[in-house]
Amino acid sequence: MNFLSLHRKIERHSGLLIFGILVVSSIGGLVQVLPIVLDDSHSAPAAGLAVYSPLELEGRDIYIRESCSTCHTQQVRPLLAEVKRYGPYSRAGEFAYDRPFLWGSKRTGPDLARVGGNYSDAWHHVHLLDPRAVVPASIMPAYPWLAQRDADQGRTIAARMRTLRMLGHPYSDADIAAAPAALEGETELDAVTAYLQSLGRSMQGTPQP
Amino acid sequence: MADMPSEFWAGWIVVITVTSFIALIWFVRDLYRAGDQDTGREDEVWDETLREGARPAPVWWFWFILALMTVSVVYVILYPGLGSYQGVLRWSQGGRIAERFVDYDAQFGAERRRLQALPLAQLEGDSDAMQSAWRVFNNNCTSCHGRDAAGQARLFPDLTDDSWQWGRDETQILETIRSGRQAAMPAWEPVIGAQGVEQVADYVLGLSAGDSGSPANAEGSALFLQFCSACHGPKGSGQPLLGAPALDDEAWLYGGDRAQVIRSISQGRNGVMPAFGSRLDDAQIRLLTAWLSAGARIPDER
Repeated sequence: MNFLSLHRKIERHSGLLIFGILVVSSIGGLVQVLPIVLDDSHSAPAAGLAVYSPLELEGRDIYIRESCSTCHTQQVRPLLAEVKRYGPYSRAGEFAYDRPFLWGSKRTGPDLARVGGNYSDAWHHVHLLDPRAVVPASIMPAYPWLAQRDADQGRTIAARMRTLRMLGHPYSDADIAAAPAALEGETELDAVTAYLQSLGRSMQGTPQP
Repeated sequence: MADMPSEFWAGWIVVITVTSFIALIWFVRDLYRAGDQDTGREDEVWDETLREGARPAPVWWFWFILALMTVSVVYVILYPGLGSYQGVLRWSQGGRIAERFVDYDAQFGAERRRLQALPLAQLEGDSDAMQSAWRVFNNNCTSCHGRDAAGQARLFPDLTDDSWQWGRDETQILETIRSGRQAAMPAWEPVIGAQGVEQVADYVLGLSAGDSGSPANAEGSALFLQFCSACHGPKGSGQPLLGAPALDDEAWLYGGDRAQVIRSISQGRNGVMPAFGSRLDDAQIRLLTAWLSAGARIPDER
């Protein structure tokens, strides 16, 4: 068939034109996006990756609420300087239990993908409440209310874990039942600290890169 | 479709990519092979000369799209892009960074191994090495210990004095940096009661001031011997192997006023030094150790 006669036909039938546009514009997505979404080997959890504990999950939601990802990324790119500074570059499987991803796109502060275990809990407490107490040149805002607010004030932790379970996070019934008690007596500061200490956990001790 | 094997998706990518490429070739070929198809209709003429069905398209356009298609074919041959085909160059992002590490080692490896082999005493005397050591300290240690290494926030110890909780000799410093430390001072209030805590606090403050065993505080002295001396020593001289600080000097990590000492005894203290063994290499750890052993002096800016 001659392409030009086909062109003439498409140009004169708007339904055919719409169909043609959809076919052509979907090719990129069919090749680049669809296989990654549907091929399980790309979304398999990294070895040693654990689901977030209730306290870490709560901390993660506070991290989102306080927009930490506006200034902090969570992805070490495969470049020598980054690997030297932060540790092994990020792998896809590390983010299997991150919904949504908190990769971020701008580093006003440092990357946090490997921050877990890099500081003591006490340091995180001081630093979140008053960053300048430990890093005099820091421009990070202080978050003093974290110490005054109880974790999970809305009592929604069990519901959040059930939702994540529907999406494939392996929480057991016992995990979910025990979650509200696990947050009892913890502050938001404890939750954020627990979350930060969990970052990069599955890759800890991995020799560079 | 979610349980399709990876090979299926590799094939999927190959089929769609090759099919759309062939369709593009067909499109370009037809543009040039078909003769002029002027419809002759007045209402299909624009900009005076541009007519519907005018053929062929300009030749520069043909060369341009041919060049682009050639580039894309060459790219897919050289680099991974077509399903699971690795490409002639076998390029990969992981391989790329591994190569950069080889370059890095070629550039700095010899110097690193030289520093690693030098005795610490010799490192201390090498002013270039001490400059590097201070940079390593600045990049990794200052957020807790402070830029001047003098400690911060009544939580992180001063590294410029002689009072080292986990020991100040070189093997102990090396171990502290490599493996980290976890102090374990229990909360004593449930054991000895609030009054006991105050008595011990007064006794310990007396030790620090130099009047050991003041007879006025027999209860504090007895409690100290019973509960505290196992780690801190009968005279409060400390035990670096357990991370039990000396109490007979004037250095107080968590503050030396009575309220802070009472807080330390009643609720305990569990300071943590993170392990840097997998974050720093051996040369960096030895540099830091040498610099700290030599008194953590900030070198002159150059």
